[in-house]
Amino acid sequence: MYNWVKKYFHVLVLIFAAQGFIASSAFAKEPGYYGLGRIATEEEIAGWDIDIRPDGQGLPVGSGSVSQGEGIFDAKCAVCHGDFGEGEGRWPALAGGIGTLTEDRPEKTVGSYWPYASTLWDYIHRAMPFTAPQSLTDNETYALTAYVLYLNEIIDDEDFVLSRDNFAEIEMPNKDGFFIDNRPDVINIACMENCKDPSKIKVTSAIKGITPLKHLEQTAAETENKVDSTKRGMGVYEQSCAMCHDSGLAGAPIVGDNKLWVDRIAQGMELLVEHATNGFTGDAGMMPAKGGNPSLSEEDLVAAVEYMVSQSR
Amino acid sequence: MKRLSENTTDLLKEIKAEAAELPQKKRRDFLLNGLKLSVGSALAATVGTAMAGKESLPPNVPVWSRKLGRGVVSVPYGHPSKHESDVVRRTVDWLTADSISSISMTPLHEMKGIITPSGLVFERYHAGVPEVNPDDHRIIINGMVDRPLILTMDQLMSFPSESVINFLECPANGGMEWRGTQMEALQFTHGMLSCCEWTGVKLSTLLDEVGIQKGAKWLLAEGADGAGMSRSIPLEKALDDTLVVYAQNGEMLRPEQGYPVRLFNPGWEGNTSIKWLRRLEIGDKPWYQREETSKYTDLMPDGTARKFSFVQETNSVITSPCPEKPMMHRGIHHLEGIAWSGRGKIKRVDVSLDGGVSWQTAKLKGLVLSKAITRFGMEINWQGEPLLLQSRAIDETGYVQPTLSQLREARGSNSIYHKNSIHTWMLDKDGTVSNVQLG
Repeated sequence: MYNWVKKYFHVLVLIFAAQGFIASSAFAKEPGYYGLGRIATEEEIAGWDIDIRPDGQGLPVGSGSVSQGEGIFDAKCAVCHGDFGEGEGRWPALAGGIGTLTEDRPEKTVGSYWPYASTLWDYIHRAMPFTAPQSLTDNETYALTAYVLYLNEIIDDEDFVLSRDNFAEIEMPNKDGFFIDNRPDVINIACMENCKDPSKIKVTSAIKGITPLKHLEQTAAETENKVDSTKRGMGVYEQSCAMCHDSGLAGAPIVGDNKLWVDRIAQGMELLVEHATNGFTGDAGMMPAKGGNPSLSEEDLVAAVEYMVSQSR
Repeated sequence: MKRLSENTTDLLKEIKAEAAELPQKKRRDFLLNGLKLSVGSALAATVGTAMAGKESLPPNVPVWSRKLGRGVVSVPYGHPSKHESDVVRRTVDWLTADSISSISMTPLHEMKGIITPSGLVFERYHAGVPEVNPDDHRIIINGMVDRPLILTMDQLMSFPSESVINFLECPANGGMEWRGTQMEALQFTHGMLSCCEWTGVKLSTLLDEVGIQKGAKWLLAEGADGAGMSRSIPLEKALDDTLVVYAQNGEMLRPEQGYPVRLFNPGWEGNTSIKWLRRLEIGDKPWYQREETSKYTDLMPDGTARKFSFVQETNSVITSPCPEKPMMHRGIHHLEGIAWSGRGKIKRVDVSLDGGVSWQTAKLKGLVLSKAITRFGMEINWQGEPLLLQSRAIDETGYVQPTLSQLREARGSNSIYHKNSIHTWMLDKDGTVSNVQLG
């Protein structure tokens, strides 16, 4: 291979030259290859670079105390998160739940679940309060972070002042509670036959009435009509028609025998219903009015004819 | 009985002919009403009533064929027919505290093919939809790079473009049902899923342009919404198939989908595809943002939690029949469904009619693309017997979609996200379909 390349090197050079742009686009470009955009200024980046990492990277100079945080929290946060971070309605609880992660109903809060305090500072600063994101100052954010940690008993001193300098000392109770994605963690086998014991299948039925379903009502009603009609038709047939139409008695076309029905069906439902209602004598035999059952309602009779046709197509 | 006039006899014939087209209950009412009216005096009015709704059926010439329709650009940007007004996104109010930080679902039961129309793609906002003016929108790429860049939309769109067809799915799709069935319709059990053509610039192209420094391993993507929605992405993915996307299904992104620009991570948790993208920062460690610690981590029974569970594992569901699309008649049915995998192409889908005792392999239909919705179908002859319908997808890595019991065995019931288990619909003998779980 290598010798071949050497021998025909000049040809390859020509091929690459001819392909020019295509060939070059197959490889990583030098930085600035396209020359689009411009170098961002430090000031521009500083205005938008708001992320904080667990190691403290990104934390600005500043500080705030637990008691300062309490005042801000009561004014701006408690309406959703509750006076003690317990959460109003479906808004998130911020405190409590320590030791519940293995329970049937775990409470995942800042104290019980979050691995890093930096996430708290970062999120309060970027997204809170909900109705006025990025409106808090750095000092207010330090104070609120301190207060939420205090609510979770991670800080127990009311006079504690949180700052960039002591931020790294905060250790969250669940810092070691996470592991890297190790899926697939479940192996299923594509069994095709006798995969389980049918007698052991247990059906858990749906909880009704908790999803919005107005759009389904119409379809369901239609189905009900349709299915009712099929059921009714089958019932009437068994009662009043099956004696002849199961056996072919008196020249009756046997239900399910398509050859006997294809021409009859082609005449249309209207005529079939009329013959069934009033009776009919033809070459093949005789159909008594309503199959000899005068008490049959029109609705039942139509259902029976529809059923017979549906089984004989 | 008084003999009817010839006009009336003709009218009765008409009424009868039309009644033949109606379902029987309606037909009886129709015949009764028609007769009552026609024997009465208001003949002229009766004609109108009797004809209503049926005048466009053969042998009549349809109403719309006898007049002119609207002209060009009477609707400069087209929208669906008014008869399709039921095909809409829906939400479940009790799932979230507020509609501004919430989710809606795609009407999967009405979707055809594999592309979700842009206006029906499920929504997930953490602080509502920001109204971004593209002229004033900028993307900054900073951190461990040689050339920190600031780009306008025009500049971004001048880079070479790529288009892909990929699904987008929220990892919480189906997550309400770890403990039992809660949702009564397909739209709610599986509707946090859509599939579109996405067009943008490969993130690797932009990273080449800025020059990544040695030691860089992660990237932070950040949105311009009120949540400053942010996620850490491993550089390995960013350099593989991540796109910076500005268009969807042939036009600029919808505001709901991140207009004017979003990240797109094929096959991964939807929330990593940061919308209204304003900044990419390159670093050597993940940032542990709120949406990758407090949320989108999967709690296990022993109290530990899986983090950075990015891939959306293989999943499938039968879309016809389903609770919204019951069986309307006995006989031959074309059962249909969708399958998708965040790890690649769908290789095979099996269908069971008996709750997983026996399985048959369905046919894959239409386009079979990597990390895209793939349709499958199978013919069944239904004679009114109750069925337990299931589908089981297998992707090109050989991964077989698991049962719910297997998932619960491994993960318990509190992990919220990534419930991709085999789904069961119970088809009742009356043709209705309900959501069940098997024990």
